[in-house]
Amino acid sequence: MAEVSGKVMSAKEAVAQFVHDGDELVIGNYTVGSCAELVYEITRQGKKGFTLYSQSGIFDVEVLVAGGCVDRLVTTYVMRSGGKKGGSAVERALKAGTLQIEDYTNFEYNARLVAGMHGFSFMPVLEGVMVTDIFRRRGFMGEKKFQVIKCPYTGKDILTVPAAAPDVCVIHVQRADAEGNAQYWGAMGSVAAAALASKRIIVSCEEIVDHDIIRSSPHLTIIPAYRVNAVVEVPWGAHPTEVLGYYNVDTFMYNGLFTAAAATASGLSDWMDEWVYGCPDRAHYIDHYIAKFGSETLDELRAKPFYSAPADYGAAFTSHWDRNGRERSMGVTLPELEKLLQERGKVYE
Amino acid sequence: MSKPFTLDELLAIAVAREIHDYENVVLGVGVPMTAGALAKQLLAPHATLMMESGIVDIRPLLSLNNIADAHSARGFSYATDLFSAFTATYRGFVDVCFLGVAQVDKYGNLNTTVIGDYNKPDMRLPGSGGAADFISYAKRTVLTMRGGTFVNKLDYFTSPGYLEGGDSRDKTGLFPVGSGPSALISTKGIFRFDPVTKEMYLATIHPGVSLESVKKDIPWDLKVSPDLSQTERPTDEEIDFIRNFAPELSAGRELTVELRNAALRKKAELRAGKNA
Repeated sequence: MAEVSGKVMSAKEAVAQFVHDGDELVIGNYTVGSCAELVYEITRQGKKGFTLYSQSGIFDVEVLVAGGCVDRLVTTYVMRSGGKKGGSAVERALKAGTLQIEDYTNFEYNARLVAGMHGFSFMPVLEGVMVTDIFRRRGFMGEKKFQVIKCPYTGKDILTVPAAAPDVCVIHVQRADAEGNAQYWGAMGSVAAAALASKRIIVSCEEIVDHDIIRSSPHLTIIPAYRVNAVVEVPWGAHPTEVLGYYNVDTFMYNGLFTAAAATASGLSDWMDEWVYGCPDRAHYIDHYIAKFGSETLDELRAKPFYSAPADYGAAFTSHWDRNGRERSMGVTLPELEKLLQERGKVYE
Repeated sequence: MSKPFTLDELLAIAVAREIHDYENVVLGVGVPMTAGALAKQLLAPHATLMMESGIVDIRPLLSLNNIADAHSARGFSYATDLFSAFTATYRGFVDVCFLGVAQVDKYGNLNTTVIGDYNKPDMRLPGSGGAADFISYAKRTVLTMRGGTFVNKLDYFTSPGYLEGGDSRDKTGLFPVGSGPSALISTKGIFRFDPVTKEMYLATIHPGVSLESVKKDIPWDLKVSPDLSQTERPTDEEIDFIRNFAPELSAGRELTVELRNAALRKKAELRAGKNA
C-alpha cells in the first residue's frame, strides 16, 4: 500500500460521498471485469432514481435494476440473464413499467461518451442505422436520441448523437496508485471514454501500487489522477467476472448460481439477499463464498502470470551536465556560465 | 467418410469455411468465435481475428466467453478501443463479420432487440450491440442461426440486410456497394441470397436433414437452389479441433446444462460432506 492519500477510502465511503440519488451513473467496464463491489455497494445503500448508462449490461445492470435503483437505462446490449427461457430483471421491469430504456448500437453509445470525454456537444455516427428501428423508434430521449445534420463540407446527411457526460462513473481496474492514476489493460472497449466523460470518477482496483510503478508504465494508465475522486482497493472486486492477470470468470457463481437465480424475480431477490445485501463488504462476501464453497473454488480461478515485455522508458542521460560538470552542448561548467552572465551584465542584484 | 458429427459442430465448421485466408474478420459472440479459431488453425492461417472490444489479432487457445475475452489467449497483437474498431469497419478494413440471429426475414434483415412491443416486451432480447453497424459496413456478413426464427415481419428492425430486396440497399446510398449478408448458416442448412432479388434461398442442406424440416421453420415459400446439394461433410481434423477447443459446443446446449448442473451438485455435496 502506498502513502496515505485523501482519495483512498472504502467502497462504502466512496459511494456515500460521490453517488447521489437521481444521478446519471455510468458503469465504466465493458463486458468483462465489471465493478461488482461498487455496484453492490450502491445497491446496499439504496441509492435510486438513476439514469444508468451501460455499454453491455451483465449481472451489474441486473443487480441495480432489481435493487430498484434505476429509472432509465441507456444501453446497447443487455444480457438475458435467466437464459433463453428465463427472464431478466430488465425484462421484468420493462413489463412492469418501472423502467424506461433507450437502445443504441455499440458505436453510437460509445460515441456519446467520446463526445462527452472531449467536451464536444455531439458526435457523428455511422449512417446505415438510419434505415432501422434503432433510429426510428425513440424511447425517453425522443427527438434528442439522434439528429441528422448536413455536412458543411460534402453536403451529405450526417447522423449524430448527443454527448453524454454522466454525473458519476464507477469502474474497476487492475491497479491504481493512491492518487488515482488508474491502470487497465486487456479489452479496452469503451472503458476510458466512460470514465473520462464523467464528472466524478470512483475507481476500484485489485491493488493499490506505488506511484513509481505507474510512472514506469504510463501507457497502461487510462485515467489520470487529477480526474479521480476516490480510490478503493478491493481484491476480487469484479468477482464473479474476470480481471486479466488476476482471475478468470467464476462460471460456478455466474452460470451456476446467478443465471439460475436471475430467471425469476424471487430467485434473484434471494440471491441478492445472500450475496449483495447479506455481505456488508467484499471481504465478507469472499469469506462467505469460501465458507460455502471452499477456498479451492476461488484458487482455481487465479491467473497464472503471462507478463507483458517491459517497455523501456530509458534515455541517454537525465542531466544537462556531463560527468565533468560541463553543459552538454555549450561546453561550460555552471560556475563558468554564471561568470559569463556576470561579465556580460545579464544578471541583476 | 468422416467420423460422425453433431449439427452444432457442422454449423461451426461451415461458418469457419466462410473465412478466407488473409481476411480481416470480426467475430461475434458464440459459434463464430469457435469458427474463427478453427479457421485460423486449419483453413485461413493468415486471417486477422478481431472483436469490437478492441482485441485485434487474437489466437484463442480455448473457446471465448464473450467478445472481450482476453483470458482465452496468451496476449494479442493490438489493443485498440471500441470506437476505433468500428471506425476501422466504417473505413472498409473489415472483410467479413459474423452475427447471430434471433429473428430474420427473407432479405436478411435482423431483429435482436425485442419480441412484442418495444416498451412492454414479451421478450427482451440483448439488443444491437455491434450488429447494426457491422452488417452496415463490413464487406460481407455471415449470419449464424442456432435457435432463432424466420419471420415475415420483424417485431423490431435492428440490423439492415437487403431491406426490401432488389437494389433497395444499394439505392439508399448509406452502405458500401455490394455489402450485406452473404450467407445464413443454421443447424439445418446454408442459405444464400439471390444476386438480383436478394431473397434468401436454400443453397445446401446438411446431411441427415430433410427439405421438409427446413421448410417447416420458414413462413414464406422458400426458394431452393435448382442444384441443391448436401453441405460438405466436415473432416476428422475439423471435428477433432472443435471437440478439443469448444467441448460445450460439441455437447450442445441441453447436454451442457445437464452435465454442468450435475457437476455443481456433486461439488456442493462434496463440500457439505467436508463441512459435516
